[in-house]
Amino acid sequence: MIRLHDVHKSYPTHFGPKEVLRGVDITFMPGEKVGILGRNGAGKSTLLRLIAGVEHPNRGRVERRMSVSWPLGFAGAMHYSISGADNARFLARIYDKPIKETVEFVENFADLGHYFRMPVRTYSSGMTVRLGFSLSLAVQFDCYLVDEAIAVGDSRFAERARAALADLNARASLLLVSHQAETVRAFCKTAAILEDGRLIRYDDLDQAIAAYQAA
Amino acid sequence: MSEVIGPQASLWSCGRIQLRVIGALMLREMGTRFGRDNLGYVWLFLEPMLLGGAIGALHQLSGHALPGGLEPFVFWVIGYIPFYLFRGIVNRAPVGIVGNQSLLYHRRITVFDIMLSRHLLEGAAVGIALAFYIALFGATVDVWPVETAKMVLGMVLMLGLAHGIALLIAAGSVYTELFDRITHLATYLSMGLTGAFFMVFWLPSDMQRAVLTIPTVHCFELVRNGLYGNQVPTHYDVPYVVAWIAALNLLGMAALRKARRHLIV
Repeated sequence: MIRLHDVHKSYPTHFGPKEVLRGVDITFMPGEKVGILGRNGAGKSTLLRLIAGVEHPNRGRVERRMSVSWPLGFAGAMHYSISGADNARFLARIYDKPIKETVEFVENFADLGHYFRMPVRTYSSGMTVRLGFSLSLAVQFDCYLVDEAIAVGDSRFAERARAALADLNARASLLLVSHQAETVRAFCKTAAILEDGRLIRYDDLDQAIAAYQAA
Repeated sequence: MSEVIGPQASLWSCGRIQLRVIGALMLREMGTRFGRDNLGYVWLFLEPMLLGGAIGALHQLSGHALPGGLEPFVFWVIGYIPFYLFRGIVNRAPVGIVGNQSLLYHRRITVFDIMLSRHLLEGAAVGIALAFYIALFGATVDVWPVETAKMVLGMVLMLGLAHGIALLIAAGSVYTELFDRITHLATYLSMGLTGAFFMVFWLPSDMQRAVLTIPTVHCFELVRNGLYGNQVPTHYDVPYVVAWIAALNLLGMAALRKARRHLIV
């Protein structure tokens, strides 16, 4: 379970603090697959970073009672100066996974060819996303935080990512943020809308999408 | 699947995770800083070795005799190498967090782990360089350490001081770029005061009292005492340095904890 209690987040700017989240209260249960819909700049990425614990709220609390992945689909979480294989080794050590198996899994899933042994800084952005996603699958979390960057695209990998996400067993949760209703429909059973710094949860996916598109 | 990742982890398993993380970070730091090209990891200790050797050789060649009949090359090398440790850690502190922010995507990795792993690696590198010179001194001019343990203790205390100061600088750097601008200047200007290049017994007694308020002075004196024994008088107070280390580290950890909440990754 992940529970957010009255989470506020603002960032300092030259024009005073910019409030991004103003009191988010929500609970995600194990196994839930929830889409979070929001326009560009609504605070979706900020919300994922707070849930992941990459950043901390100014006020309120994030409670995690299951293992939560880092936000997937962003450039972060990887080292650019070392190879994909070295990144896999590093994460295997951090998360206490068998090193050889982890490297093999990532190599097969990311399908980067000889780039797997080259520094990440030589990768295209699509390859970086593939590596990041494969790394997170190798670690095995209870809950995956996914940015839409992974779900979009028409590559062979998008299909495999889709299959892998659909395959996550009943225990694994998925929080997917997107500004596209179709993406959320493809992966999620319920949805919430992030607007004006607040998150509104809908039990019914169609109802959520209708409300999002009406807004 | 979630046995150790959740907040339920016991103190024991937290400790195991932290050790694992610090070990992995040290390996990674070696990979990113030195790579696998040309000499690779050898640079880790070759760098302090070359610098220490060059400084020592310059002073040897300049031909000035030292009080107490000390060999100039030996004296300058064992002063410069601990100073290199201190300066290396403190100078790198302002970019310690910025340069490693992407690591913070992994909740298991704390800012403290990042800093500590960098400093331990630096300590190991400088330790190897110092060990090399001690063997060299023994083989060439027959100066063997009287008490190796005291030299090691001096280096460890130096590491503790530098680590504490680095934590404070790293925390401050989250809020302002000021530290990035002035740290190099400050370490450069303070070079003469750290005690790397003078001995306390060279000074008049009121000056001695004054310089002995500086904690690094004790570390250098301890290293010298370990090497020379009673050949020259040395002045140091281990509990005094330990108190400094405790204060700097506690303040540093508290500051870092606060800064982490404001860090924008």
